[in-house]
Amino acid sequence: MKRLYIAAALLALLLGLSLVNGWYSERLTGEMREQLRQAQRLAEEEDWGRAEAVTRQVYEDWQNRHFYFHTTMRHSDTDQVLRGFRTVLEYVRLQEPDQYNAANADLITQLELLAEMEQPSVANVL
Amino acid sequence: MFTGFFRTIILYILIIAGVRLMGKRQVGELEPSELVLSLIIADLASVPMQDYGIPLLTGVVPILTLLSLTMILSVLTMKSVTFRALLCGRPSVVIQNGMVNQREMAKNRLTVDELLEELRIKGYTDISQIKYAILETNGQLSVLPYANQKPPAAREMKVKVEEGGLPRVVVSDGRLLEDNLKALGHDRPWLDRQLERRGCGGLSNVFLMLVDESDAVYFAKKE
Repeated sequence: MKRLYIAAALLALLLGLSLVNGWYSERLTGEMREQLRQAQRLAEEEDWGRAEAVTRQVYEDWQNRHFYFHTTMRHSDTDQVLRGFRTVLEYVRLQEPDQYNAANADLITQLELLAEMEQPSVANVL
Repeated sequence: MFTGFFRTIILYILIIAGVRLMGKRQVGELEPSELVLSLIIADLASVPMQDYGIPLLTGVVPILTLLSLTMILSVLTMKSVTFRALLCGRPSVVIQNGMVNQREMAKNRLTVDELLEELRIKGYTDISQIKYAILETNGQLSVLPYANQKPPAAREMKVKVEEGGLPRVVVSDGRLLEDNLKALGHDRPWLDRQLERRGCGGLSNVFLMLVDESDAVYFAKKE
């Protein structure tokens, strides 16, 4: 019976970790998405300096959690997000509203998809 | 992680069901759950090993899930007869009283050629000599001949035979295995006497020397 309890505990632990991972990835990327939206609003108000500062802050947050993203997500997806950040930062620096809006929207969608992949849903399992 | 966890559980159950449906002949020497584990685990380990673009966790989580499931299934099969029958199946009697049970053979997808081959391997060419042939859950065929077809045992012939016991290797390729010599209750002078009796100068000239509990010696000199 000891073996059964160990195996059941391990399964429960894995299930718990996967649920926590889903919640954490959603919370983390949710905050980032919200900040990127805020940066876009600032850019629309022609406050490019603050828009760049907010975007750079989100980028630094992303870089600080590089280990987490790299160990739990597919590297191709995280690399794409990294490329998205670099593009958005370049457009915000150049103060190009059209390209910035498009690149920012693309980055927000990529972050959303990244978290969605980890969500405990029937659609994902199937 | 969540997706990988549940996909592993679903696919594991699905593959076990598939292996069970394939019949006992496909299983080999493993039980269905063990076969499935060995089939999947190697693949799971090799994917993150080769593809650096995938986190190690995508391999580790399914492997741990599979090991836990296998452990749970093995405990449940030990505890419950019904569950054991469901997971591993039941042995099938394919020959009874010298008659082939065609229905059981069809159920297990066992062809006549395969049956005859298995019987020949076991040393039987005539089906009428066989009382029972049972296809075990691990795919092996157990053959029980009629009592009058069995070779007589020494006890049945009322012959006294000495119990030899387990032969132990005392010298292997010129090397003395002292633990085995001691376990047999002998010492180095005894070994030297045995070698001298066989015209062997030293240990380096011995290829193999086996001694059993009744002190019967098998000796092979090095060429």
